[in-house]
Amino acid sequence: MERKTILKLIITFMFFSLVAGLFNLGIVQGSKFRRLSDSNCIRLISQSGSRGNILDRNGQIIVDSKISYDVMIVPQDLNNVDQALALISRVLGVEAKELRLAFRKNFISSSVPVTVVANIGLKDAIALGEYKIEQPSIIVVPKPLRHYPYGALAAHVLGYVNEIDRWRLTKLEDYGYKTKDIVGFGGVEEKYDYYLRQEEGGLSVEVNHRGKFMRVLGFEPPRNGKDVVLTLDLRIQKIAEEKLAGRKGSVILMDPYTGEILALANFPNFNPSIFVNKRSKVISGLFNDPDAPFMNRAISSSYPPASVFKMVVAAAGLELRRINLSTSFVCQGSMMVGSRRFNCWDVHGPEDLIQAIAHSCDIFFYRAGLLLGAQNIHDYALKLGLGRNTGFDLAGETSGFIPSPLWRKINKFQNWYDGDTANLSIGQGDCLTTPLQVVNMLAAFANRGYLLTPHIVKSVGGVDLSAKKKRFTRVPFQKGTFDAIDKGLARVVSDPKGTGNTLSGLPVKVAGKTGTAQVSRGATHAWFAGFFPFDKPKYVICVFLENGGPGHASSVIAKQIIEAMVSQEIM
Amino acid sequence: MRNSFFRILILALIIAALGVLSIYSSTYQKEGSAWQDIYMRQLLWLTIGLACYFFMSRLNYRKLWDANYFIYGVALFFLLLVFGLGVIRLGAQRWLKFAWFNFQPSEFAKLAIIIFLARYFSRKSIDDTSLSSGKFGIFRGIILPFIFVSVPMFLIIEQPDLGSGLMLMLVFIGLLYLTNVRLKYIFILLITLIIPLPFFWHFLHNYQKQRLLVFLNPNIDPLGAGYTVIQSRIAIGSGGFLGKGWLRGSQSQLYFLPESHTDFIFATFSEQWGVLGSSLLILMYYLIIRQGCVIAQRTQDSFGRLLAYGISFLLALQVFINIAMNMGLAPVVGLPLPLMSYGGSSILVTFIALGILVNIDRTRNVF
Repeated sequence: MERKTILKLIITFMFFSLVAGLFNLGIVQGSKFRRLSDSNCIRLISQSGSRGNILDRNGQIIVDSKISYDVMIVPQDLNNVDQALALISRVLGVEAKELRLAFRKNFISSSVPVTVVANIGLKDAIALGEYKIEQPSIIVVPKPLRHYPYGALAAHVLGYVNEIDRWRLTKLEDYGYKTKDIVGFGGVEEKYDYYLRQEEGGLSVEVNHRGKFMRVLGFEPPRNGKDVVLTLDLRIQKIAEEKLAGRKGSVILMDPYTGEILALANFPNFNPSIFVNKRSKVISGLFNDPDAPFMNRAISSSYPPASVFKMVVAAAGLELRRINLSTSFVCQGSMMVGSRRFNCWDVHGPEDLIQAIAHSCDIFFYRAGLLLGAQNIHDYALKLGLGRNTGFDLAGETSGFIPSPLWRKINKFQNWYDGDTANLSIGQGDCLTTPLQVVNMLAAFANRGYLLTPHIVKSVGGVDLSAKKKRFTRVPFQKGTFDAIDKGLARVVSDPKGTGNTLSGLPVKVAGKTGTAQVSRGATHAWFAGFFPFDKPKYVICVFLENGGPGHASSVIAKQIIEAMVSQEIM
Repeated sequence: MRNSFFRILILALIIAALGVLSIYSSTYQKEGSAWQDIYMRQLLWLTIGLACYFFMSRLNYRKLWDANYFIYGVALFFLLLVFGLGVIRLGAQRWLKFAWFNFQPSEFAKLAIIIFLARYFSRKSIDDTSLSSGKFGIFRGIILPFIFVSVPMFLIIEQPDLGSGLMLMLVFIGLLYLTNVRLKYIFILLITLIIPLPFFWHFLHNYQKQRLLVFLNPNIDPLGAGYTVIQSRIAIGSGGFLGKGWLRGSQSQLYFLPESHTDFIFATFSEQWGVLGSSLLILMYYLIIRQGCVIAQRTQDSFGRLLAYGISFLLALQVFINIAMNMGLAPVVGLPLPLMSYGGSSILVTFIALGILVNIDRTRNVF
C-alpha cells in the first residue's frame, strides 16, 4: 500500500472514532449525562406550608402557626460574606462572632444559602429587607412555626412538635416522612399528625454556574395541613387549669351524652413552645423531672379509686338483689373480717344505702361487698368501664386494673380472702383506675345507662367525626338502680354531713362522690367525681389530686371550677 | 477546478456559520457588551478570512516556494516577539497585541512550517517533479528538517503551548512519512523522541502535568483541572440524539462549561445540536479534508502535493485533537477548533490554508 493511502486511512479512522465517541457520550451514556446536566443547573427551593391549626369546639384557635423569618446569606465570595455578616450583626444586634460561627457550622456549598440567624421577628425582617439592594446576598426567608397563644394550656392534649426521631422515622418512612421533618409528639399532634402535617411545595429553578438564579422552571404550591377541631371548650379548659394551678393531678370535664371531652387539664405540665425555640436545657430538665410533666395523668396513669368505687358495689348489690333500699348496716367505726379489723373513717351508726353513699360509710360497703363476693364486684366494675381502655382517641391510655380471685390464683398463686373483698369494696387494694375511666363511669350514672367512648376530636379538615366518635354501649341496669345511686350521689352534696357538702352552696345542683385513696407512701390521693346540673346533667367532672390529701380537697377545686363556670355564664 | 473552490468554500462557510451561532449562544447572556458582541467580531474575522481565501486562491502558490525562507523567518520573528511583547492571558504568553486585536503567531507558524517542509522535500525543476527525499540520508532526511522544525516548536512549547508544539511535531512526522524518507529513519526519529519522554515530565509546567493526570482520570480533581473535561462531557452527552436546541443548552448558556466559545466550542455545539448535528459537523470537516487529499493526489507538482497533504493533515489533526479533547479522549491542550472557535488568528490561517489548497488545484494544469 502506498504511504498516502495509509495516511488517508489513518485520517478516516480518526474521524470515525470521533463519531463513535460521540455516539458513546450522546446515545449510550446520554441519559446519565442528561441527569448530570440537570443536577448542574436545576435547584429545588422548597417552600413549606403551615401545619394545620388546632381549634376548640367553638372555633377558637388553641394552636396555630405564625410566620417567623430565617436570615440566610448566599456565600458568593468570602469578602462579601464578612460584609454581609457585619451588616446583619449591626441590624439585629447579634455578635458578629456568633454569626460567623453559625455560618461555618451551616455552610454546605457556595450555591446553597446558609442560615445564620433563625426565627427573627417581623420588625427585624423588614429592617434587614431594606438592605436588599446594597447586599443582595442576604435573604430573609419566611418559615411557619408552631405558635401557642395560650402557652402551656392543654399541653397534654395537644402534644408538641419536634424533629422526627429515628424510631418514628423507620415506622413512618413509607408514608412520605423524611429526616428533619417536623412531626407531632404526643397528644393530638402525634395522633393526627398525618392530617395536620403540611405538604411541602416549592420552586424548581435554573441556576448558572455561580448558583445565580436564571429562571423558574416550575412551581408546586405548598399545601397547608388540615385543621383539627377538638371537643375542648377553651373557656372551661382555662378555668380547669387555673383552678388546678400548681397541684399535681388532673381535671376532666365531659359531656355525659356524647362523650366529648370539654376540658382535660393536668399538672405538672409543660409549654410546648420550648420545642419550637429549641431550648434544650429546659427540655432536658423537663424530661428528667421526677414528677413527669410530659405524662398525661388523666389517661396514662392509674390510681386506686377509693370511695368513688363504692357506686360500683352499690350498683352490683342492687342489681343482684343482695341489698335493697331498706337494707341498712350499723357502723360502729370498725368491724372484723376474718381476723383482721377493718375501720371506717368515722362512726356513722345505722346507715342505709343512700346515707352510706352520702357519708361514704366504709362499713356498709364492706358488708355489701362481702354479700356480693369479689367476682361479682369485678364483673360490675368492668360493666361500668373500669379495668379496660375506654377507647379514648389519644395514644397512651392505660387500662387500670380490677383484681379478681381468679386473677390472683393464676398470676400470684395466692388465695383470695374476705379481707381482700372488703378492701376491693372500698376501691383499695390492687384496684386501679384512671381519672378518665372514673369520668366515663360517672357519665353512665348521669345519662342513666349508657357507657360512652370519651373522645377529644370533633372534626378533621372540615369533616365532622362526632357521629363516628359517638359510640356507646348500654349498661343494662334497672331504672331503680340508677335512681337510688343518683339520689345517693345528690345526697353527698346536699346532706349537711355529706362528704361533698362543700359544693352545696352552688347555684347549680351537683351530684358526685368523693374519694380518699390510701397510698403506701405519701399523702392520700384526693378524688371528686360528679355531674351537674343534677336534674339535667350537662357536665361530668372528675378532679383528681395526686397525693392531694382527703377527697375534700378535690371537691373544693370542683366547686371553684363550677363556680367559675357559672359566673362566666358557660352553663 | 471551480468545483473544489466552491465545494471548500461552501463547507467552510457552513462550518463557520455554525461556529458563529455557537459563539453567540454561549455568550449572549453574559454581562457587558464586550461579551455580547463577540460574535460580531467573529463575523468580521470571517469576512477578512474570506478575503484571504479569495486572495490566496488567486495567488500562485509557487510564489510560496520562493518566499519560503522569508515566511519561515517571519514566523520565527513573531514567535520571538511573543517572548518579549506577548500578552499574557490564561497563564500563557501566546498573543501579540496589535491595534485592536490579538494575534497568535503559533497559528501562523504551523502553516509556515508546512510550507517550509514542502519546499524542503521537493524540487523546483518543472521537468522533474518527483520528490528528492528518496535519496536523502539520515542527515538531510531527518536531522536537518528536524532542526528547522524544532526551533519554532521549542519557542511555542516555551510560551507555553504544549498542544501547538506537539501538533508541529505530528505534522512533521506525517509529512516525513509522505515524502519518501526511509521508514527506518522515521522509526529512529520516533524512538529518539519517545525515549526521553519520561524525563520531559520534569520540564512540564504544573498545570500541564495536572492536565495529563486529569486526562487519565478526570475525577481526581473534579472542581479544578478536571472540571472542564467533566463539564464538556456532560454537555456533549446531555445533548442526546437531537440536542437541546439552539440557545437551550444549559451547560454552555449557564456557563458551567468554561471556554465554551473557544476551545470547547464543540461541546457547546454538540449540546445544542445533539449527536446528529455533531456527526454532520464532523462529516463536513471530513469532506473538506478529503477534498484536500483529492487535490493533493490530482496535482503533478511535488511541492503542491506535499503542501496540500500537509494542510489537510494539519486540519485533520487539529479537528481530531480538539474534538477528542472535548469528549475527554485526549488531554486538554489549548487548541482551537478550526473555523469554529472564536479567534482571528485561527480563522485567518485556516482560510489562508484553504485558499492555498484551492490554488494548488487551480494551478495544476500548468504542469
